[in-house]
Formats: sequence, C-alpha cells, structure tokens
Amino acid sequence: MGERTIRRRSASQWAVAWRRFRRNKSALAGSSIVVFFLVVAIVGPYLAPYPARSYEALYAGEAGEPPSWKHPFGVEQSGIDVFSEVIHGTRNDLYVGLAASILTTLIGVALGAVGGYFKGLVGDIVLGITQVFFVIPVLLLILLFARVFSVLVFKGLGLTLIVLILAFFGWSSVSFIVRGETLKIKEMEFVQAARSLGASSWRLLFRHIVPNILSPVIVITTLNIAGFILTEVVVSFLGFGDANTSTWGLILNEGFSYMRTEWWVPLFPGLAVVFCVLGFNLMGDGLSDALNPRLRE
Amino acid sequence: MIPVFLGVAILTFAVGNAAGNPLDLIRAGLRNPSPQVIEALRQYYHLDRPVYERFLLWFGELLQGNLGVSQSGRPVAQQIGAWAFTTLELQLISLMLAVAIGIPVGVYSAKKQYSNADYAITSVAIFGYSMPTFWLGIMLIILFSFYLGWLPSSGAEGISFFWWGNPILDQLAHLVLPVTVLTYVTLAAIVRLVRANMLEVLRQDYILAARSSGLSDRTVTYRYALRNAISPVVTLVGLSFGAALGGAPATETTFSWPGLGYAFAQAALNLDIPLVQGITVVITIMVLVANLITDMAYVALDPRVRID
Repeated sequence: MGERTIRRRSASQWAVAWRRFRRNKSALAGSSIVVFFLVVAIVGPYLAPYPARSYEALYAGEAGEPPSWKHPFGVEQSGIDVFSEVIHGTRNDLYVGLAASILTTLIGVALGAVGGYFKGLVGDIVLGITQVFFVIPVLLLILLFARVFSVLVFKGLGLTLIVLILAFFGWSSVSFIVRGETLKIKEMEFVQAARSLGASSWRLLFRHIVPNILSPVIVITTLNIAGFILTEVVVSFLGFGDANTSTWGLILNEGFSYMRTEWWVPLFPGLAVVFCVLGFNLMGDGLSDALNPRLRE
Repeated sequence: MIPVFLGVAILTFAVGNAAGNPLDLIRAGLRNPSPQVIEALRQYYHLDRPVYERFLLWFGELLQGNLGVSQSGRPVAQQIGAWAFTTLELQLISLMLAVAIGIPVGVYSAKKQYSNADYAITSVAIFGYSMPTFWLGIMLIILFSFYLGWLPSSGAEGISFFWWGNPILDQLAHLVLPVTVLTYVTLAAIVRLVRANMLEVLRQDYILAARSSGLSDRTVTYRYALRNAISPVVTLVGLSFGAALGGAPATETTFSWPGLGYAFAQAALNLDIPLVQGITVVITIMVLVANLITDMAYVALDPRVRID
C-alpha cells in the first residue's frame, strides 16, 4: 500500500453521475434539444424576421400563404408569420416552464421537508394539504383561476400570472418526493450525530437533510419543466392565456380556427412543443438514471 | 376523500368570490344577464350574508345537489347529467383500450429489452407523453377528416346526415379519432411503467427459480412476473383517469365533443361561475370515485397491502 493509493480521492457522486450521463445517448440527445431551444430563446427574438405579434405580412398581401422561402412556416390568416411567432414563443414558453418549475421546487422542497421532518400536527396538516393538491383536477382550477384573475383582479400581469398559478397548483409531486426522502434520511446516523452535537431542527433540515435529497429534486424539476410547458400550451390553446404575448399555445389557438384550410399554422408550433418537451423529458430520464445509485450498469 | 372534496369546494368558492362576489364576475362575462337569473343567483349565493356564512350555505346547497342556475337560466345540475355521460363514454372506452393494449406491449418490450422492437416501442411511447393531446387531435383531424375525408371532425353524432350511412356506425365513426388520441396518450404512460416494473421483477431470483423448475415462459411471465409488476400500474391507471378527466377541456374542445370538458372551457371563458363550479365539483367526485376503485383494486391484486 503506497501513499499514492491513499491520497487518491474517490470520484465524487456528481462526477460519477456526469460520467453516466455522458454515456447515455438519449440523455445527450435530450440535452442537445434543450440547449438548442435555450439558444433560440435567448438569441432568436433578435434574429426573427418579424417582431412578435406583427401583422406586416398582411400589408404585403401574403396573409394565409403556405410555407415558402420567405415564410418557412407559412402565414396566418391575420398576417402573422408563423416562423417568427414560433421563435418568440420559444422564449415565452421556456420562461413559463423554467420559472414555474423553479417556484414549484422551492415550495415543494420547503413543504415536503417540513412535513416529513416534523411529526404530529404540523406534519399531518402539511401532508393533508399536499394530498388535496395532488388529487384535485388541477387543470380545471388553473383555467378558472387564469380566467378570473386575468379579467378582474390582476390585470396586466401577463405570463407571470400564469407562472404563479401553475406553481400554486403544481408543487404537490415535488413535496411528496421530498417528504418521502426526508422521512428516510432523518433516521440516518449522520443526522443523529449532528443532532447530538446540538444542531437545531432548521439547521438539520436545511443543512443536512435537504442537500442529501438533491438528486430526486433535480430530476423532478427537469421533468416538471416539460409538464409546465405542456400545461401552458393547453391554457393558451383554450384561450385562457395572455392574448398579447406570443406563445406556442396562442398560435395553436389561432390555427385551430383555420385548420381546415391552413394546416401549417397548427403544425409547426405543435412540433416545437413536442420536441422541446421531448428534450426535457429525455434529459430528466437521463438524469434520473445517472443520479440513481442503485443502478449497477 | 373528504378533505379533497372540501379543498376543491373552498378553491372554487374562493375564485368565484375573488372579485368580491360571483355576480360581478358573471356580469363581466355576460353583458346583460336576465334579471331573473340575477335574482335566482343572489338568493343561491346568499349575497346578503358575510363571506364565511355564504360559504357554509353554498356548501350546504352543494351537498344537497343544488348547483344553482347558469347564465342561461337553466339549473346547472340538470345540464351536467348529459355531459357527464358523453365524457365518461369517451374516457372509459379509451382507458380500457389503453390498458388492454398497454400491458401486453409493455411486457413484450421488457422481455425483448434493447431489441429493435423495444427501441421502437419506447420511442413511440416517449412521443406519446411529450405531446399535447389536443395537438395530436388537430393533426389527425386535418389528415383523416379534411384531407382524406374518412372520418367526422367534430361532435358525438351526425346532425344533418349519418356518417357511414347508419346511426350506430355514425356514432362509432365519431368516436374513432378522439378515442385514438386519448388511448395513445394513456397507453404511452402505461407501456413505460409496465416495461420499467417488468425489467425490475424479471431480474429477481424467484423468476429464475420458477424458470428452472420448468414452468413455461408464458406462465413465468404472466403469472409470476406480471402479477408482481402490476400494482403500480393500477395506481397509474387511476391517476391517468383523473388526469384525462382534468385534461378533458382541451381534448373535448378539439373534437367539439359535447362533454363536461368542452362545457367547462366554454363556461369558464364566459365566466358562467355556477356552471364552472358545478362541473369542477362533479369532475372532482368522478376522480375521487376512480381513486377509491383504484385503491380497492390495489388491495385485491396485491396481498402484501392487506397485512397492515
């Protein structure tokens, strides 16, 4: 046994996960799709041929034209260039997906950790609320809240209102996962060791327990981005979104009325949704495999 | 179940009163509601009382099945019955098809792990849950109704003429596209879960023991492995039923399917608050009943749950 073997540090958990992730082809494909959409979201709006919600093509007499070199995804009846609109929508839909998912994770981790750690009344109440939010028909309430609040209470919040509503109704799955992991980890010896050294409950919870449940939280956050993008698309498609902000769902809403004659209007934003959501799903599945210590291969 | 029901009641009541009282919302949705409707709703919501009393009185009415009147002046409870039937028709047919196809396909995919068939199945499945249900519906309508002209694009039955010339075939024809869409999406989730569970179970020692004692492949797969892999799938089926019901506004709007979801989307856009509250409550009850059935099936299928 030389000094060399002793000094060599074992690979960290994250390094092992990264190595696994890199070997997973579908995870890499998913991440590439995600990176592509992120790039489009960041630089796309500056390069798009037309500004958001612009009816310019109408004045050029090109309204309702099928895909061409000038309008790769065709033109809506109203004169909106679908290609530009899909690009502007990318930024807005990713904003909704990312923001809602991050908010959801914050709410879900806080409530899940508190609910799993504290026994008795507090834990029961948190669990009860989580179960209610897990079972209720969330989409109906999202639509209802979006409609009522955009009309009367919080006019002009735009997409941020949708983000807040999605997060308000979407945190229960994160909370359940975090609760389960907290229940497991709080019985472990290192937590007891910290407790016997005098660490407070909050310190135990957020310094010792929460950092150890990051893996499942990262996975569910990634998958939730996909879920929230899909939900936003449904909300806008049904006409409950912000009618002044370009989103994929809004184009689908407008394309639905003219689908008999203009197949290109619903086709292209829908493909954008499918690939973007697919990317996040593949990436999430890949992360799940890479971060799972039980998988041997 | 009771806290869930109460939770939904509180949320729907709260949103109805978010702007002070439901009548303001109804007026915002409909310029000139008839004075009779306004008067009926004023009594139904007990607007002369303080908010907490209003909630209790409204909840009491709800428990007795009185859901108020909609903007049109008709009682909500009366309108909901027919919609609930068409929604359940569509959802139950799709769910049964998804289970019937999803389980064997998932098992096959797990048994042939990493084969071309497995890759094909998992790819088709991952597209299924990455896709907005209604968008697939739109694409199928464009292809099969508008371009090929084989199937009707909207509604549950023909009005002016019968598709395929016969009333029963006509109803079937109207079911084909919505059922296909809903089945595919649920199917995707079922296949994925069955495959994952089967892969885990097939590696267990008792499967090897069963094989080495000379049991046929069929018996080992379906009686030994699947029996142990199926419990989470039962939970998923219950959850997907709830999700499909909750997602009904989008799918039903796409196909103009005269069910609860389509009615909900219209009512919510028009701010027809009593109708919206009524449909939300009814769908919640359906979801809760589905969960109850799921729990019972879970216990029946998995003896390990019964012990505690």
